[in-house]
Amino acid sequence: MSDEKQQVSRRQFLNYTLTGVGGFMAAGLLISPIRMAIDPVLKGSSAGDLANVGLAVDDITSEPQRIDWTIDQVDGWYESEVNRSAWVYRNENDEIVAFSPVCKHLGCVVSWEGSDQHPNEYYCPCHDGRYYKDGTNVPGTPPLAPLDEYEQEVKDGMLFLGEPKPRGEA
Amino acid sequence: MKWRKADLQTYFQSKEYIDTVIVPLIPFGIASDVEAEKAAIQAEMITLLSHELEKELTGRILLAPIYSYLKSADRQTEIARMNMWSAEMKEQPFKHVFMLTFDPSWKKYEQELESTLLWLPAVQTGELNSKEMQKTVREQVGQMVELIRAYWQ
Ligand code: FES
Repeated sequence: MSDEKQQVSRRQFLNYTLTGVGGFMAAGLLISPIRMAIDPVLKGSSAGDLANVGLAVDDITSEPQRIDWTIDQVDGWYESEVNRSAWVYRNENDEIVAFSPVCKHLGCVVSWEGSDQHPNEYYCPCHDGRYYKDGTNVPGTPPLAPLDEYEQEVKDGMLFLGEPKPRGEA
Repeated sequence: MKWRKADLQTYFQSKEYIDTVIVPLIPFGIASDVEAEKAAIQAEMITLLSHELEKELTGRILLAPIYSYLKSADRQTEIARMNMWSAEMKEQPFKHVFMLTFDPSWKKYEQELESTLLWLPAVQTGELNSKEMQKTVREQVGQMVELIRAYWQ
């Protein structure tokens, strides 16, 4: 009896081998995202995680302008290209400011001077939310917080933007 | 808002602010190759468009799941069914129900619909991911936002 048990049949042998190889492959699949996350050397990106948004610093004026760019984003099951936008301008202190256009009320997209009645403000078409030029929400309108500000960096005269952060954390 | 759990949580808490539903309409038919291809392009485009639209106006609209129908189906039956959708949504109460479509055949029945038909002329066939297509979609979304805002006023 025991003799027979020790024999490995062709089928068992194949099974073992396949499980081994399969397991090895599965481990590889599991490990790579973790390695990507913990090992900064493996991350292939230029200015940290900031993306070149294709806007030359010289072209930024005191008038907010909308810029759009795309980033690669891994979101659960999907890796996809995500569109991002920002309103960029130069404030009185000559600093570059980039606001996320996502309304802090329920998330619609705001635009600079989006309403004829409210010049010199960002306007949200959904519930008449308003923000001053510096991104602060106008009291009495639905939003309860200022617009988020993008992390930014200037490199070789180009603007790089990262993640939008709530005011005070940027 | 999209029809997914995470968004619904926000919806439940902010119902008074979300008064508009968008229903994308997609014809399906596979009997003829040419027609099938056309319908498939329409489906891709309307999906893309409705998602972009949802992004712009996310705080006030709910994007319903796609309503699909057979190209060959009897329109009266479909209209009755579509009106059932509208009735259900208006009870919530959503104030505005928009049906979004590239299919011109609905235009004829616009009066019988209990929702607002947003018919868009189909775009020229082209690569969905091309730069020109992105521009076209962006323009169409901009126009739709304006249109919907007019109904909100
Ligand atoms: S989503 Fe902007 S005001 Fe409500």
